[in-house]
Amino acid sequence: MKTISKPASGYEPAGQSRQMLSLSINRMKPKLLAVRGVILAFLFILVVYTAAWGAVGCDLNDPDRDVARLFPESTGYKTIYTSIQKKGGEKLLSTVETRLGDKFHGIYETIDVPYTIYEIFANKKKIGYIHGVNQKGQFGGIQVFLVLDLQGTIRGFYIQKMTSQYAAKLRDAKFGKQFIGLTIKDFSHYDVISGRSSGKVEAIKNPAPEAEADFMAALRATKKNLILMDEFIYSAEASPSAQEAPKK
Amino acid sequence: MYSTLIMFSAFLFLAGAVQASDQLLYFEAQGIAGYSSQLQKPIYYSMNPDAEMQKPSVGFDYLKRFSGESGDWGTFALQTRAALTVDGVDGANNVKWEPQVYNAYFKVKTPGPYVWVGHNRPAFGLGSYFDSHGLLLRTLPIQGFGYDRDWGGGLYKDFSWGDISTSLTTGSGMPVYTKGNSMSAARISYGVLSQSNFNIGLSLGYGRTLDTMGYVLRDSKPQEMRLIGLDLTMLRNRFEHRFDTLVGRWLDQDTYALMYRLSFNVDPEGRLKIEAQPTYWKFGDEKNFLMTLCFSSQVTSHLTIRLAPSYEHNTSEKMIVMQLYYYWPIL
Repeated sequence: MKTISKPASGYEPAGQSRQMLSLSINRMKPKLLAVRGVILAFLFILVVYTAAWGAVGCDLNDPDRDVARLFPESTGYKTIYTSIQKKGGEKLLSTVETRLGDKFHGIYETIDVPYTIYEIFANKKKIGYIHGVNQKGQFGGIQVFLVLDLQGTIRGFYIQKMTSQYAAKLRDAKFGKQFIGLTIKDFSHYDVISGRSSGKVEAIKNPAPEAEADFMAALRATKKNLILMDEFIYSAEASPSAQEAPKK
Repeated sequence: MYSTLIMFSAFLFLAGAVQASDQLLYFEAQGIAGYSSQLQKPIYYSMNPDAEMQKPSVGFDYLKRFSGESGDWGTFALQTRAALTVDGVDGANNVKWEPQVYNAYFKVKTPGPYVWVGHNRPAFGLGSYFDSHGLLLRTLPIQGFGYDRDWGGGLYKDFSWGDISTSLTTGSGMPVYTKGNSMSAARISYGVLSQSNFNIGLSLGYGRTLDTMGYVLRDSKPQEMRLIGLDLTMLRNRFEHRFDTLVGRWLDQDTYALMYRLSFNVDPEGRLKIEAQPTYWKFGDEKNFLMTLCFSSQVTSHLTIRLAPSYEHNTSEKMIVMQLYYYWPIL
């Protein structure tokens, strides 16, 4: 099936003359050179694997199922694509980093990462948003989605991607409940580098001490998510130009 | 070449049009080079010069959402390439361009399932949901057991416990032919991968399908297809396990095939990956075994590099292929 049917050509059998042996060796040289060339090219490109990161977006894998589960009163959703580059470029990136309390780094935190925002509707009325971000975890990237009302308050928390053997504990409803009712203001006191906090965020308990790195990643992702939504959506909706009444 | 020009004109038009927030447009380019121990010379494909992938190519990937006052109701997807075929199997390299169409479908949300029409993945096995468009490792459809994409229509519905999908397609793969060929397929799966890191699927396929490889029609007579398949995906810590099996009749031959892909994510961001994939099959009287390794690195913002050595038992062929894959969002 789908193999090359032409028989292999191979090289000369043993017991040959010195001349034929030389011919055999010369015929092997291009083969060895080609294989070595491919491997060397791969290794060369691999060594320049440094600080030039990739841009990896975060979508709901099963939006119909997930929106219905996360927003039971919803009847539909609208998908919007945006990025920091599109919304404000380097200036916006700097603002987000200042609010986060850390620089953006890695393939999940670049200026051109595409973000997917789901506007949630009950019939024709918008009732909230769902938005996810990627974050470096213990065993690979994790994806943290927040379910937000129109004021930016968390009404749901969902970890879509996490392959850790302790993922079930961090995906448990009991863990997610700790985030309900929190806002960007509550996370403004959370230090994403040290993990120290005060107030309501400090009260969030890690159900899996063995997965401390993923717990910290989930908290950083939540703060990042709230900041991005505030910059992309809530601040824009609250701006004077957005609130100006239409002229009669 | 005319088709290629039309394709790129469409790309330039779309690139100019994409400023709205309901569309995505990506530019894609890949380089493929390697060596075949059987041909004893460099090759510029990952499997076979007639197979659609992977070959050096440029292309684009476009997605548009359609929305009303109460939300999204439809999606249009178009994914095309202009691929360079370098065929040196029978002697000197013969070079030609080949326009390729992968995703080309319109999907509509209904009160029940999603309905799609166009060129999309048939509802059979791991290939029905696992996208191999940019990868070197082959799923069973890419290996020749089924079609990675086919022309026709299908239904898809999510449930809290899993999903169900069905499709009715031409059974011709990349090209469209109507010679009395058709393929029906259905898959039911249990487990939500994004929630439980586990999914198991059972597939059935029936029809009279054509023997095609890429855009090449190898036999114009439709052949019997009756297949049952089982696929399984499990993700745990740094490891990903993917199994795909099928058994029955394919192209009028008694067939079974088994594939297992083990992936190891080396770093916490998933940028470095090491994979191993043994594939074993029996097709008529022929039994064969293929072992492939793959080393992947997401090197820069938009560039992934892969290196894949492989060994095929029947021909004793050893291949090594390198891929440079560039995927750039145009927002």
